[in-house]
Amino acid sequence: MIGSKRKGFGVIITAAIATSALLISAIPAHAEVGVSSSEIKLGITVPQTGPAATGYSKVAPAMKAYFAYVNANGGVNGRKINLIIKDDKYIPQEAINMTNELILKDKVMAIVGALGTANNLAVASKVQIASRGVPSLFVNTGFSGFADKKKFPTTFALFPSYAMEAKAIATYLKENLPTAKTCVLLQNDDFGADAAAGFKTGGVTFTETVKYVSGTQSSATGQTWIGKFAAAKCEVVVLFGVGTANAIALGVAAAGGYKPQWILGSVGSDVTTIKATLNNPQATALMNGAIGASWAPDSADLTDEYVKQFREINTTYNAGAVFDNNVMVGMNEGLLIVQALRAAGTNPTRKSLIAAIEKKGSTFASAGYSTLAYSKTSHVGQTGFWFGKYNLAGELKSVDGKYTMYTTDSAAGPVVKTEQNRLPMPAKGLPSNS
Amino acid sequence: MHSLRRLFLFIFSTLILLALSLKIEELRVYQGAQIAIYALGISSIVLLTGYSGQVSLGNGAFMAIGAYTAALTQIHWHLPLFFTFVVGTFSAALAGAILGGGAARLSGPYLAGATLALAVGLPTLANQFTILNGETGLDYTSGTPPTWFGESFTLYKWFFWIVLVNVMLMMFFVRNITSSRYGRTWKALRGNPVAAQLSGIQVGGSKVLAFTISAGVAGLAGSLLGMIGFVGPTGFGLGLSFALVTGAVLSGVTSLAGSMLGAVVLVAIPELASVIAHRLGDTERVTSNLPGLIMSTLLILTVLFTPNGPAEQIRKHKARKQ
Repeated sequence: MIGSKRKGFGVIITAAIATSALLISAIPAHAEVGVSSSEIKLGITVPQTGPAATGYSKVAPAMKAYFAYVNANGGVNGRKINLIIKDDKYIPQEAINMTNELILKDKVMAIVGALGTANNLAVASKVQIASRGVPSLFVNTGFSGFADKKKFPTTFALFPSYAMEAKAIATYLKENLPTAKTCVLLQNDDFGADAAAGFKTGGVTFTETVKYVSGTQSSATGQTWIGKFAAAKCEVVVLFGVGTANAIALGVAAAGGYKPQWILGSVGSDVTTIKATLNNPQATALMNGAIGASWAPDSADLTDEYVKQFREINTTYNAGAVFDNNVMVGMNEGLLIVQALRAAGTNPTRKSLIAAIEKKGSTFASAGYSTLAYSKTSHVGQTGFWFGKYNLAGELKSVDGKYTMYTTDSAAGPVVKTEQNRLPMPAKGLPSNS
Repeated sequence: MHSLRRLFLFIFSTLILLALSLKIEELRVYQGAQIAIYALGISSIVLLTGYSGQVSLGNGAFMAIGAYTAALTQIHWHLPLFFTFVVGTFSAALAGAILGGGAARLSGPYLAGATLALAVGLPTLANQFTILNGETGLDYTSGTPPTWFGESFTLYKWFFWIVLVNVMLMMFFVRNITSSRYGRTWKALRGNPVAAQLSGIQVGGSKVLAFTISAGVAGLAGSLLGMIGFVGPTGFGLGLSFALVTGAVLSGVTSLAGSMLGAVVLVAIPELASVIAHRLGDTERVTSNLPGLIMSTLLILTVLFTPNGPAEQIRKHKARKQ
């Protein structure tokens, strides 16, 4: 009897140890917020409604569509990506509220593609995502400040900065239009200040600088800008405003018969926004002949492998959305996020995600024509622009079929010209990196 | 109520709320801070409209003045946080005194129009002066919580503690002043200005005083809102002024205690709307219009059934029973 009792006790002990071992092995080594065995939760704040929603509202659904495509093809190491979209109406206080919900209520692993300079600054200051250790990946703004790793240790930029773009345009002007009377339209905030600093470093002097207050752009204010450009006899005008402001400037100038050589900044050259602002599907004709700077291919360039692949995904997974630059940006960010998650290991954590981008981010595929500059000391993404001319349909075309990149930094570094050297699109648009 | 008893009640409620914040999840603690700030903002309307009978659609502008001056003194003069609140409060009060001087000559829709113009115009100044940093706004912070509170004492708990202590101090002051000689003077003014004047009340001076104190209260609310949120033109737009008036109507424009109810509704509606919108399929049209629809419905129902607010209704009900 005693022997059988002992035997029974031994069986129980063995079973308990075996069960514990099984349970322990089933628990991931580092269970992370927003990561389960079947899902990775990510969050994005973007204007889905309100005046800024035109164009920008397409970014998050495009990203979600790309994730749906990845999920349908096995997800990231077996986990599906669940993107939670929050509408911040382009208002910083709303961005704070929505980011709070994403981090504290929805418990996302990371914030991705958060849009707007003021919104990202407000969130960094008040939600303090850095001290919470929450990664903010590939922010949708070109403000150079976000590349400051000390100030924003968990934030990664993607777009080349406004300062980089201004320096590239300054170099282009000095090379191609050195004697022309040149003028510029700038927004009166950090976006414009970043650009103004870049133009100054780039050594370009403007005959007339017009600054407008964000949100005040209208036909009436447009008349004032164009009046100033015409009075100063500007032969070249750099439109470095947002899409709505650039559209108004183009529309007012055309109505008044004023025809300088336009140079359009990448932020304000979105065709969807220009058409919507002027309420005219043919408004792209106003862009015809304008010189444009861009860090990525034009969304209408069907010869580009990234554009082709993203268009295919868009057709099946994005509820019939018209493919444009905003859709391309959303999908490209999705592509980068998937590579970052894969590089973060089979059980990704917030820390391993940040470390992975710092270590391997420069090897990630991206539609941008310059290589990515991520490293242990740099959270800068793309670093260069190419120049082309817009046609009647508002498509940016390379003049000589080449994509010569004007690559630089946001500080006083030189502008270096190289041929485009981006990495190829992963097969079927599905990253296989680790 | 005896003022010592009232003081004890305020201290006791503050301590209870501070203790509660240690047990509540962080998002709710942040929303708690928002509710306390909105309650203070609504109190500024109650004091002005409910007591002195002056209508203001522009108290959001006084909040902006409070927030901007507090932020500027922190950024440029490096004043300790509490003193930035003092500067914010007094700057807004000064602006209130100046506007009140003009407002004392206006009444009804003319006064509403003048204050509305302030609410529309003032935020745009942020884009005219580089010191105000345009749309990007100013970075006004509380700093991190003291380390001796421990790691579990998070940033939002720190926000809540700072907000609650300041709000309760100001509420105590407001409660006392409304039950003082000044409060009775304002009530007399609201009831019948001519009769008040005949009984020796200085109509103009009393109105200016009400405007000054109301603006000061709004200024502190603005400073606190800026500390936990965003100091920029979009943070203090017309929407905020309207939200305060809506909160005041919902809570009963004569009830200071009811201001808490109005504040809870203001913070809860967006979340309620998002839950309903999610159930209805999250279409853009539903998501963007639902908060406005809920708010408007509540306003209509309040005006129809409890025009003086639920708190006043309960008080009347109790009085009838007695």
